[in-house]
Amino acid sequence: MQIPETNRTDAQVEILLTHFLETVDKPYQTINDLKKKADEELESLRKNRLTSMIMADNPANKARKTYLLRRGQYSAPDKSKEILPDIPAFLPPMEDNLPKNRLGLAKWLLDERHPLTARVTVNRYWQTIFGQPLVPTPGDFGAQGSWPTHPDLLNWLANDFRESKWNVKRMIKQLVMSSTYRQSSIIRRIHRKNDPENLYYSRASRFRLMGEFVRDNALLVSGLLNPAFGGPGVKTYQPPGLWNEVALRPVVKFVRDDGDKLYRRSMYTYWKRSAPHPGLMAFDAPTRETCTLQRQRTNTPMQALVTLNDEQFVEASRAFAQRILKSGRKSIAGKIDWAFECATGRPADSIRQEVLKNAHDHHFKIFEKEPNRAEDLLRIGESPRDDSISQAEHATWTILASMILNLDETMNRE
Amino acid sequence: MDDIGLHDPKFGRNHEPGIIPMNPIDYHQACTRRQMIGLGARGLGALGTASLLNPALLQAASKQNASKQNASGHAGTLGSPHFKPTAKRIIYLFLSGGPSHIDLYDYHPKMREIHGIELPDSIRNGQRITGMTSGQESFPCVAPMFEFSRHGPSGSWFSDAIPNIAEIAKEITLVKSVHTEAINHDPAITAINTGSQQPGKPSMGAWLNWGMGSPNKDLPGYVVMISKGKGNAQALYDRLWGSGFLPSKHQGVKFRSAGDPVLYLSNPNGVSREMRRNMLDGISRINLAKKRETGDLEIDARIAQYEMAYRMQTSVPELVDLTNEPQHVLDLYGEDALKKGTFAHNCLIARRLSERGVPFIQLFHRGWDQHNNLPKQIRGQTKDVDQPAAALVKDLKQRGLLKDTVVICGGEFGRTIYSQGKLTKDNHGRDHHGRCFSMWMAGGGFKAGFEYGKTDDFAYNVVENPVHVNDLNATILQTLGIDHERFTYKYLGLDQRLTGVEHPKVIPELLA
Repeated sequence: MQIPETNRTDAQVEILLTHFLETVDKPYQTINDLKKKADEELESLRKNRLTSMIMADNPANKARKTYLLRRGQYSAPDKSKEILPDIPAFLPPMEDNLPKNRLGLAKWLLDERHPLTARVTVNRYWQTIFGQPLVPTPGDFGAQGSWPTHPDLLNWLANDFRESKWNVKRMIKQLVMSSTYRQSSIIRRIHRKNDPENLYYSRASRFRLMGEFVRDNALLVSGLLNPAFGGPGVKTYQPPGLWNEVALRPVVKFVRDDGDKLYRRSMYTYWKRSAPHPGLMAFDAPTRETCTLQRQRTNTPMQALVTLNDEQFVEASRAFAQRILKSGRKSIAGKIDWAFECATGRPADSIRQEVLKNAHDHHFKIFEKEPNRAEDLLRIGESPRDDSISQAEHATWTILASMILNLDETMNRE
Repeated sequence: MDDIGLHDPKFGRNHEPGIIPMNPIDYHQACTRRQMIGLGARGLGALGTASLLNPALLQAASKQNASKQNASGHAGTLGSPHFKPTAKRIIYLFLSGGPSHIDLYDYHPKMREIHGIELPDSIRNGQRITGMTSGQESFPCVAPMFEFSRHGPSGSWFSDAIPNIAEIAKEITLVKSVHTEAINHDPAITAINTGSQQPGKPSMGAWLNWGMGSPNKDLPGYVVMISKGKGNAQALYDRLWGSGFLPSKHQGVKFRSAGDPVLYLSNPNGVSREMRRNMLDGISRINLAKKRETGDLEIDARIAQYEMAYRMQTSVPELVDLTNEPQHVLDLYGEDALKKGTFAHNCLIARRLSERGVPFIQLFHRGWDQHNNLPKQIRGQTKDVDQPAAALVKDLKQRGLLKDTVVICGGEFGRTIYSQGKLTKDNHGRDHHGRCFSMWMAGGGFKAGFEYGKTDDFAYNVVENPVHVNDLNATILQTLGIDHERFTYKYLGLDQRLTGVEHPKVIPELLA
């Protein structure tokens, strides 16, 4: 301030101005405070935002050029002739007015004048619902593929699917309400003799649920299932150390999720390709390294170990037991019936009643005599339990619930 | 024949305007060239051809196969071998990361003279090298910073980092001319384990588990164990022991060092073995009732698998319990023998698995990627591996198991003669090198005390008797009585095989 105004340097003017604004000028301070707040808010929004990858075409002038690679060597392109996108010559051509990009491809795929997309799609729905596809090679409808077992049916379904404007729900409903689907799966001598592979659908097919469905089914029956749609993948129960065993660097650590994320449908299970979830892998889930259109359906001891011992399934048994005990059924037989119907859609017949009643008495005695066992078993899994239920009773029914969840008839679609 | 099918005007482009003909069913009725060739080559009786004419046949046959396997649990698809096997099982000691053949086996006294000189163009020969060293201005050759001496009847060189393996020189076939096209870990390790650089093919163990089955009803037919040294480690992938397009039950089962030795093996807390037995008896009774009601024979398989799970709950802990191993055996494997998760411990478990008839046992030891600090890291890695690997061979031999067990030892590729990074008096690194590397096999019909293949003085190019990784795999299959060309699985319209289609060949010189 002692320097005359005309002699001040720019920097000195700046210092004075800042001082004036920050200590004297009230309106400036109000605005400045508002700005600070807004900045902080903006920063926190930036920090918490979710990134979602979106694929888009490059603009035409930036599109990457493609060349024939000599003998397939990535480092040996034949630059004399650029290769442009088009439909392979053995397939019907794309209409001239369609752009040669993803939009054009999508329109070509759904072109009403060819049946392939609709046929391939309904064949996959059929496979999911009936356990075997109409065309036994769902990934190959070409010359190396197999004949459909029911060509007219495939065509009819494909046509219907297309004409209903690709209405998936309607198609599934149509399949499961058909009399073919609603048959009994009992295999009689006449089936074995005339249709051993059920190629003529002379009975309902009977097959083990897909790995994801085995888990989802246990969660649903137990009442734990979180049916929410969408959202990021979840890290559910898995034995410790699996990621580290194979990881390049031990920096990416597996951190299990908590709460209702543990009970989301299996399709949301986080998938690490170098170490996929072992419980699902045991049940033939594909590794997702290559596209898989038809899963194997194997039957292994590892599967038994998963459904009997995996924390996820033990917890589901405990929650299922709680449901059974709160079902309002008074007698043991009534409870068994209720539980059996929950898991299989049928009450228990005399053999099943007897087996489960015996198991009940056997285990109840043990848990009454050794309360520590009950306590240990009931502690498995994160979800809380209803403490008003006696431990011995809850543990006993946890065993019975686990037995029911492990039955062939629970794990099969029949 | 060109006019049948592919060029039939009905399916070509000249047809009614406005109607797109894409009718694979019509197309299918035409006999394609490929099918005709298939007919000629294999004759009508072959299942493969029959399936082309009537896919239902193949489907029926494969389903029958599947249920047959389920019922007996462990019978292989192959039935009887193609010819008389010399081996019944494999123990694969896989050193992941690319162990340096130059510093372990492939020694040339001339290397002392070329130390420090630039890698001559005549040796590199325009070869593509990885992005990790392609930017280097200088490629100084490095002689190994280890002492070498000759051992065994063929006088093979062994580094002083592996004195114990040198001691078993008379038992092994050392191949110095193995080569691969791959130059990076992921494709290379996938190629040697599955026959293809692209993911999606079954691993060798899965192929054999599918084809040969296992005589042991209480243990998996393919067991994998992982250990890690202090050296620079590379990632592993489940596909390396995966089943690819084969049924997933043939994938390797990991035996683990922490927690349950097999995932989910232990009963839940509070559940005793007696209680589990009671549960399983109940489950079986209800499943049997279900079988009677539905007539579904698959239920037998489920009951059998639950029983095997129960047996595994005792057979696996019994297997990994080393308390009855005598001290002199533990001493043989070295100080880490009782330490879970070490290569030594896994070698001892491997011997116990082989005693129980498990046909494919694979150990992965990580940490062999010496881009820098090679001399020190190789000392560390070989300290983990040298004594136990040699001990395993000796131990198998004294138990009479070596005659029908093949022990394989090696990695996905070798390393370059030139230094990666700065070459100092006592330190340097080496980059990946797939044009030649060394592996050894012992037992099961491989020659004992034998050396095969030669490289130039830079251990850079094979100059005599090259052995492609798929040749090696074909030869390994041969010892098990399997003709690798007839060991196929139909997938994506091809007769897929472990060894690929680029003319892999068995190397009979390696076999006794």
